[in-house]
Amino acid sequence: MTKHLRNFCIIAHIDHGKSTLADRLLEETGTVSIREMKEQLLDDLELERQRGITIKARAVVMKFRRGKDEYELNLIDTPGHVDFQYEVSRALACCEGVLLLVDAFQGVEAQTVANAYAAMEHDLHIIPVINKIDLTHARPDEVAEEMMNSLGTDPDDCVRVSAKTGQGVGKLVDAIIEHIPEPPRDTEAVLQAMVFDSNYDDYRGAITYVRVMQGTVRKGQKIRFLRADTTHDVVELGQFTPHRTACDELSAGQVGYLICNIKSLGDVHIGDTISIPGDGAAEPLAGYSRPKRMVYCGLFPSDGQNFSDLREALERLAVNDPSFEFEPETSDALGFGFRCGFLGLLHMEIVQQRLENESDIDLVQTAPNVTYEIVNKRGETVEIHKPQDVPDPGDVEEFRQPIVRCNIIVPTDFIGAVMKLCQERRGIQKSQEYLAAQRAMLTYDIPLAEVVYDLHDKIKSCTRGYGTLDYEIIGYEAADLARLDFLVNGKRVDALSIVCNRADADRRGRAVAKKLKSEIDRHMFEVAVQAAIGSRVIARETVPAMRKNVTAKCYGGDITRKRKLLQKQKEGKKRMKAIGNVEISQKAFMAVLSEDDS
Amino acid sequence: MPSTPRSAYLHVPFCRHRCGYCNFSVVADRDDLIDRFLNAIEIEITQVLAQTPCQQLDTLFIGGGTPTHLNPDQLERLLKTLRQHLPLAENAEWSVEANPEDITSDKLHQLRDAGINRISLGVQSFDDQKLAVLQRSHSGPLAQQVIEATANVIPNVSIDLIFAAPNEDLQRWQSDLQTAVRLPIKHLSTYALTFEKGTQFWNQRQRGTLLPVDESAEIEMYDQSRQMLGEAGFDHYEISNFAQPDHQCRHNMAYWLGNPWYAFGPGAAAFIDHHRNVNHRSTFTYLKRIEQGRSPIDESESITAQQAAREAAAFGARLLQGIDLADIERATGWPIIQELQPTLDQLLEQALIQISNTSICLTERGIHFADTVASELLGETH
Repeated sequence: MTKHLRNFCIIAHIDHGKSTLADRLLEETGTVSIREMKEQLLDDLELERQRGITIKARAVVMKFRRGKDEYELNLIDTPGHVDFQYEVSRALACCEGVLLLVDAFQGVEAQTVANAYAAMEHDLHIIPVINKIDLTHARPDEVAEEMMNSLGTDPDDCVRVSAKTGQGVGKLVDAIIEHIPEPPRDTEAVLQAMVFDSNYDDYRGAITYVRVMQGTVRKGQKIRFLRADTTHDVVELGQFTPHRTACDELSAGQVGYLICNIKSLGDVHIGDTISIPGDGAAEPLAGYSRPKRMVYCGLFPSDGQNFSDLREALERLAVNDPSFEFEPETSDALGFGFRCGFLGLLHMEIVQQRLENESDIDLVQTAPNVTYEIVNKRGETVEIHKPQDVPDPGDVEEFRQPIVRCNIIVPTDFIGAVMKLCQERRGIQKSQEYLAAQRAMLTYDIPLAEVVYDLHDKIKSCTRGYGTLDYEIIGYEAADLARLDFLVNGKRVDALSIVCNRADADRRGRAVAKKLKSEIDRHMFEVAVQAAIGSRVIARETVPAMRKNVTAKCYGGDITRKRKLLQKQKEGKKRMKAIGNVEISQKAFMAVLSEDDS
Repeated sequence: MPSTPRSAYLHVPFCRHRCGYCNFSVVADRDDLIDRFLNAIEIEITQVLAQTPCQQLDTLFIGGGTPTHLNPDQLERLLKTLRQHLPLAENAEWSVEANPEDITSDKLHQLRDAGINRISLGVQSFDDQKLAVLQRSHSGPLAQQVIEATANVIPNVSIDLIFAAPNEDLQRWQSDLQTAVRLPIKHLSTYALTFEKGTQFWNQRQRGTLLPVDESAEIEMYDQSRQMLGEAGFDHYEISNFAQPDHQCRHNMAYWLGNPWYAFGPGAAAFIDHHRNVNHRSTFTYLKRIEQGRSPIDESESITAQQAAREAAAFGARLLQGIDLADIERATGWPIIQELQPTLDQLLEQALIQISNTSICLTERGIHFADTVASELLGETH
């Protein structure tokens, strides 16, 4: 009897049915019975379920027999979003093949292309899969053609399935066995395993997800993380079936988990290589890098009292998510809080949502910004994580910002609108391809700051929701940037400062000043709101002084009511932030986030 | 401050129709509940007085709702109950609120014969268009006739007027004031229309179908009232009240000065024995509770000396003659003068109040900011 291994993952755009297909594969291979099947078994985080997307990669083994042959199929689930590109790349490095899943109605999307390219870079065998063929408006033949045009796959190789009904899933299993290569099985070589994911168990500590590239790892053995240079005992190892199932060893080609009494996820680096202690260790695997935070924002508790609660909440999150980082930050306007770094916008949103779900702290968030680089007059390059740290214009030799390459797939009707938008956002067009008669892919290099600001929303709105965007960081470029400050009655509000292109400063300064004006309650005196670069004021709005209260009656029954009302107003005021003698609501701090074009 | 209340308020929650701006405890078109209500009132009064006996009242105020919405028999029973349980001092002020459309000669005589000596008419305006906007069911001319007729029977007439109604301009308001001062009234309450949560007007404003008048126009109307009524011999004695000499509303003065009072009926708020007790706002719940032998009080709050002092200062400051903090200090035993010093300095600096010795009063500018002043004086006591 021979045992065959196949390691693969599914890459797909959001909503194209990746999780549903994974569930059907588990059923088809008898790994999980229909009765046991929870909807979308692989997405185990509540939040992922809520958002309907997969954030953390997981791995599941499917074991079954066909005649004399025993099969072990390892499905490695990958996060779909660009923010997690590095995690995707590590997961791909653990596979020999991928299922490239495309919706039979929606067709190829930007994310599909990005992920397919990543799979090609890893030299993986690609099985094109067209899903949702049961839909009334399915157009599998056209989509197969689109896939050929954009991804170079053979329409004849496309496996057509309906993950919903299970149609075609049996044939897909055949295709996996037939086309995806068997991994190398050098079980006697020195241990070399790739860490492709981790999660945290409150009782067991860090759970490290591995693919053994060569050799064998056994229970009780000493292992070493080569990049982190730490040594541990393997307390338990096993596979996901899909629940954790312990076994005695994992050998070359197999996928599973290790538990080594590691107390913090921060000690497990995705992409690290596991080998043996001492001089005889295997070579570290290529492609390792530390997670790079590209987006930062400030998080402050509304009530200063909650500072330590917030710190605890952030620590809890960081234990589960090593790619998120935070450090204490002080703002004149907002008091004590934290500057938090994220892989990207979605990552930021997810972390904030978790904070809200898991702790009861009212938060003020400052506008997100990207990581800038500044070369100062002394020739030093400094990384800038918050606008307040931008030095005075006189000390800036060069101001650099991260540039991303964006692939945007749009119905051809909307090409004009998207091109106009990208040009406005300082995009440089790299290419334009037609994927099908009705769909095209535009490639632009655009400053990440523009993407972070609102590009994604704008693309969605100018393509009636049909346009999709994907991007990857390609490097830093010098630009004509400046720190734009906002002043309230002459006092700079540090938490409101933003970095923007000098040419946009007037427009954004005016818009934000206007928005701030509408968010600041009238005071007993006039309040001036100004936007300024350095000492140059570029916009001014005035909140006129309050002229009266409501002249309402006030009789017996009103006394209790009125007192409560007044005290409630006081309470509200207490949560406001004082800039000099001007009280500013927390909502006002979001003014810089939302810009009404004017 | 006297510990036994010398004032009492009775809330009659019935109305023919609920006006679009009204958020009072009112039921419209449920006259079937009136008899139950009259029973309940008697029970409530008896119970409250058993706990806090009433010596003599200086003021008694029947408000609503629309007390005159009751038919003559019902009204008679109500007045009888009150007379029976609530002894009035000689020269006591006994007021009733009335709607112009309910007033008949018989009713006026009935009220007068029962001992009522002050009547407050919910006129709101003499302008038919404005009355329609406010959803009032009387006409301007009728209101004028009713005022004349009332004054002949019960000379101490007060009227309510609303300004800053949607679409109202200064001219229309001036004409309301002109009409008012020509009529035989002794007292006038006037206030800007407010949009209260839970009213039709609130929703309409949220939807943008009802536009409040702009701020400057509202200020102009208010200042106009002060000027015209002043010229006609009415003293502006409280933020929204004007009176001819010796005709201030003594009942309301008790509220503003922080004196205790009884209160009966749905939603009524009493201040007895250092407690503010507010009855349940729902007429149905109120009736049910009394009928089941339970207390109708929905919220009861103990008022500390500090709170009493601050409230007296905050609400007393609404009186244009001002208020002597030393009096409050004596009455409550709380060192309010010292405690408020920083607040007073700030209000003084903002030119909202004047201070002479231990008395404070609103400045001309402060009159427009009575709520801000009250809020500062209340501070953050709990």
